[in-house]
Amino acid sequence: MTDSTSTAPPPTGASGPVDGIVVRDVRRSFGAVHALDGASLTARAGAVTALVGPNGSGKTTLLLVLAGLLVPDSGEVRVAGLDPVTHGPAARARTGWMPDAFGTWDSLTAREVLLTFAAAYRISPAAARARADELLATVHLAEYADRPASVLSRGQKQRLGLARALVHDPQVLLLDEPASGLDPRSRVDLRVLLRRLADEGRTVLVSSHILSELEELSDDVVFVSRGRTVGSSDVGAVGGTAAGPTTWHVRALSYAALTTWLTTTGATWQPDDAQDPHAPATDRPGGVLLTVDGDEGAALLVRDAVAAGVPLASLAPATGALERAYLALEEERR
Amino acid sequence: MTQTIEIPAPDAPETPSSRVPGRWGVTWHGVRTVAALELRQRVRSTRWLVALVAWVVVVGAITLLLFGALDSLIGTGGTGTTRDQRGPVLFAAVTFLVLGLGLLVTPTLASTSVNGDRNAGTLATLQVTLLSPAEIALGKLLAAWTASCAFLAVSVPFLAIATGAGPTPWWSLVRVVALIAALLVAVCGVGLGMSALVARSAGSSVLTFVVVAAVTFIAPILFGVSYAAVTSDETVRVYGMPSSWDGSADVRCEWSDGVRSVAHTERTWWLLGVNPFVVVADGAGTSATPGAGDNDPLAALRDTVRQVRAGAQGQVDECWMGDGEFVPATSTAPVWPWGLGVNLLLGAAGYVVAVRRLSIPQRSLPRGTRVA
Repeated sequence: MTDSTSTAPPPTGASGPVDGIVVRDVRRSFGAVHALDGASLTARAGAVTALVGPNGSGKTTLLLVLAGLLVPDSGEVRVAGLDPVTHGPAARARTGWMPDAFGTWDSLTAREVLLTFAAAYRISPAAARARADELLATVHLAEYADRPASVLSRGQKQRLGLARALVHDPQVLLLDEPASGLDPRSRVDLRVLLRRLADEGRTVLVSSHILSELEELSDDVVFVSRGRTVGSSDVGAVGGTAAGPTTWHVRALSYAALTTWLTTTGATWQPDDAQDPHAPATDRPGGVLLTVDGDEGAALLVRDAVAAGVPLASLAPATGALERAYLALEEERR
Repeated sequence: MTQTIEIPAPDAPETPSSRVPGRWGVTWHGVRTVAALELRQRVRSTRWLVALVAWVVVVGAITLLLFGALDSLIGTGGTGTTRDQRGPVLFAAVTFLVLGLGLLVTPTLASTSVNGDRNAGTLATLQVTLLSPAEIALGKLLAAWTASCAFLAVSVPFLAIATGAGPTPWWSLVRVVALIAALLVAVCGVGLGMSALVARSAGSSVLTFVVVAAVTFIAPILFGVSYAAVTSDETVRVYGMPSSWDGSADVRCEWSDGVRSVAHTERTWWLLGVNPFVVVADGAGTSATPGAGDNDPLAALRDTVRQVRAGAQGQVDECWMGDGEFVPATSTAPVWPWGLGVNLLLGAAGYVVAVRRLSIPQRSLPRGTRVA
């Protein structure tokens, strides 16, 4: 047995943020199904990256490859600078993975579940006990610490699963639908927790369907469709920040007056979700979405619209930008 | 064998043990972690305790009933002969009962350990930890074996009663328990392998039972079926009545040459040898002195199998007189190491399959399974 696997020293030292996850042209098929068909993405350390895509688009498969459970057919994968195939244990030691569907050992208490996983990650018993207490407090399960996992609700099991993924203090977090089953309070907690983890310099990759959630949470977004990454950007471009071009939702008492004025100024706009794009513009209240250059642009827009006599009702940064991008993606898919 | 990987953990000072075994590497820490997890899962389910209590009741009741039944069957003659007759039969009955029930219960303990976890969604989260596949498999094997040995352990008092009832040496009790435990670990290994191979737990249980049935029933049946195939007409030395015999009593048997159909069971004895009951009977070491095994079913089975192993030695006994001059060819070499070895090989094969199937990252998935 001379083929002892040697492990390269971790490139991610204390020397600032290096790319946490790099995926280049990864393919993986199950029989005739091409679950991944040339996916590429980069997730920065110190940022939360959202993985968005319809069901069956390959998000879970991608996370399985990153977690070191599946060998990609081709392509290059680096997690915390390590290849999960050739340096499996070393990569797994740095990776926390929370699957979308997972079970818990019903007979074990929440604390025992965490202690078992700590032992599986070869953490010393003393450190493991402290870590388990800390994590149970983090996910607000301290009062359930000594109750069997079978009495936990779905959302509580989800939180226990998150604590489990964090037990070995991983540098890279892979979360598959972490918010499903969580109540609003827990979602806020999750958001705060993931933000804190990212601010500590960790790489966080989250897949979710709850797009409004992801929008508030993530710094970058990667769209996946049919096993391919079809675009990535930072959320600021589709969401809303103070500087740079952002999308605003403008409503007026007369939809017709608003759109007529916008068309004469030469602005590009699109009807909002409440508007039927094929019906002719009416005098009833309605709104549009348009891209404006920062807060100053918005102020300019208000001044000009009022000056032109448009009965403005509201002007607000548009929400649901991810959702629109996602739906546009769905449209492409058909 | 323990290849280790150095995990550099500069930013994880909480990780004290920095040695991670490779695929086949095993540490006691890892095995214990998995085994403790499995046993906690099982022991806390009351179903398991119910099964254990039911086992004690069944084995105990049958032992005591046999005690009474043998008394009335063999009669209440001289206490010395009753004791010599009843003891070995009781010991053989309880031994086979415990072995038979153990072979029935053990497959269910191990044969769902991998695919059951996979279906419950708890396997993949364990695989991504720093436990090696060999540690996960060995931990599961150890847990299943410990559980089946619990059944064996609660049977020991009844085996002890049977040993105390007769001339069976206490040494035989130890040997029987050790042999049954070794056979059960083999069954656990087969179950583990099946549970890693087959996606559905029902399927793996059935396949494990099929393997157990193959060595227990199918192999002896094959022995019977192949008996005709290994039988042929040959010229052999026959020890029989003299051809001049006219019915008067006082003659001596003599040797002659003749053509007889002879079964070469030395070619097929192993079909009997792999049978767990034969293994235990052969290895029990009861009634070691020749002729003492008349009332001892274990010794009788042992002597039969050893005779079968010796096969035809070119001699046939046709003497009616029973003058004791003809000594049937028999083998003194023990059969049980071979039988136990085959069973343990099957178990080891199951373990190897399980380790290979538990290795990540996976290239191919068993049909009908998801990783997580």
